[in-house]
Amino acid sequence: MNHPDEATLALQAGGDLGPLARWRVDRHLERCGRCRDQVAAFQAARELLPKIAAPPLVHWNRMAAEMKANIRLGLAAGECVRAEPEPLRNTPLFAGARAAVAFASVLVLLAGSVVLERPAPKPEIAAIEGVEFQTTANGIQVREGGGTLRLLHGAQDFRMQIDGRLRSVPAVNYTPGAQGSMGAGYVDPQTEVATVTNVYYAD
Amino acid sequence: MRIKAQGPLALVGFLSVASLLAQDIPLPGGSVKINLPDGSPLLIARVTDQSRARARGAAMVIDLDLLLQLRNVSDRQIHGVTWRVVAQEVAVGGYASVAYPSLHVGPGETFPARIDIELVRPTQAMSGSLVEVNLDGVLFQDLSFFGPDRLNSSRSMMAREMEAQRDRDYFKRILAQGGPESLKTAMLESLTRQAERPRLDVRVIRGGPAVTSAANPAPERAAQFAFLTFPDAPVAPVDGYARVSGNEARAPRINVRNDSRQVVKYVEIGWLVRDPSGRQYLAASIPTADPGLLLRPGGTASVLQDSALDFSRDGRPVNVQDMTAYVSQVQFADGKMWAPDRGNLEKKRLLDLLPPSNEEQRLSDLYRKKGINALMEELKKY
Repeated sequence: MNHPDEATLALQAGGDLGPLARWRVDRHLERCGRCRDQVAAFQAARELLPKIAAPPLVHWNRMAAEMKANIRLGLAAGECVRAEPEPLRNTPLFAGARAAVAFASVLVLLAGSVVLERPAPKPEIAAIEGVEFQTTANGIQVREGGGTLRLLHGAQDFRMQIDGRLRSVPAVNYTPGAQGSMGAGYVDPQTEVATVTNVYYAD
Repeated sequence: MRIKAQGPLALVGFLSVASLLAQDIPLPGGSVKINLPDGSPLLIARVTDQSRARARGAAMVIDLDLLLQLRNVSDRQIHGVTWRVVAQEVAVGGYASVAYPSLHVGPGETFPARIDIELVRPTQAMSGSLVEVNLDGVLFQDLSFFGPDRLNSSRSMMAREMEAQRDRDYFKRILAQGGPESLKTAMLESLTRQAERPRLDVRVIRGGPAVTSAANPAPERAAQFAFLTFPDAPVAPVDGYARVSGNEARAPRINVRNDSRQVVKYVEIGWLVRDPSGRQYLAASIPTADPGLLLRPGGTASVLQDSALDFSRDGRPVNVQDMTAYVSQVQFADGKMWAPDRGNLEKKRLLDLLPPSNEEQRLSDLYRKKGINALMEELKKY
């Protein structure tokens, strides 16, 4: 079986593939547990990375106020020197109003570049304040801060003909616990032993 | 018993190298410790360790893949085993259990047990063992128990063993009354139920709301539980509610009354939710929060948890229209347990909503892979 390369799977995990490529990869994932696991792992990493790589806190209001002040400073400097105009040909290249305006412009450009490079973060849709328990494509996990503990099952849903109909039978049954837990029950495909895994959290 | 020598320094160095090379590398010794208490009825006959680590962006991913061959060195038949898994270096408060119910391991026999764990954490130096795997308990055929029981695995294993006996008896009765064809029909019915059971993706958050208000603008309301009751249940639900907003529900609280003549020390409630289209799902179980509960005959107590759950299906939120609860498990002070029988579950149409027991799942898997004769042979063992 030809497997998509790692970059394609990473793009699939982020929903960044075009419709045709996505359709092809989806078809492959239906048949290939290994690639499904890899996509799940990329998705998990994507969930994790924004937390790890969160930009430092930027005080947007303060930055805007500083930019305004710098522009005013530049304009004020221009007003001060306008009273005694000198012939352009006698003026040094970087002096007086020119220097002030250039300085203010550079400041504006620098501040603008910082803002454009780090746009104001959008409000998080699913901000997590506590400990999170959930199922993943190949297991169950407990997540807190940057650390994740995940139990994998390796079991895959199967299709079988029942009463003349092809049915998809889930291989894993998940059991959430309202006290803060997640469980999975399955028959281990390797050992054929019934297995129950749970993740919990202790304060 | 300790498998593998400690090598914290080697581990620190190894993880640094792994992060630099950003590729799969086998884990060094000292990464996993397996501990068996003194007098353990189990011995580890063999360990196959295929654990690996790799760097992925700013995170380190460690895949601990252990295949153990365990030998029963007691003189009794083992019916269940539970491990407690701790990864202190990665998930400070997080821990896990791996249990094997429905075993049938005689004295001197061995059986395979797999533990597959993935740890993800920001790349940083780590020291000491990444994971400790401790035997938490062993359940024998006569329902006696061995082990430190830090996870209350004696109760959970006994509950699973009761379910296993209940479902084995059910299939054995069908075989005795109708022969192999009837057993085959019952297995196909079980697999059909498993295929058609409505399933929800549930996320549980402890210590905070599931999602921000921006993502879920529906106002929060106090939704009352409706109840399913069983005539032989020792504990009855009285009233209860949870805070519900769109596809989120939090802080469930259910008051129960002990209708039996015995003191009760544990109650577990099954929680069902219905979406606006009328489809019903199993949402979660709600165990008693009080570990010291002693509910006297006629007394009342509250089963409550301070967590938030959100529900979705195929990536789309599933809004909560109404909620139903039922008593799913009771343990008395003398250790005996009650759970609804199969007839009651069928009458209340719960059999179609609840996942199959581990035993029913195992037997239907055996039938699917090896056929009706293998299944009949398996049932004869008990």
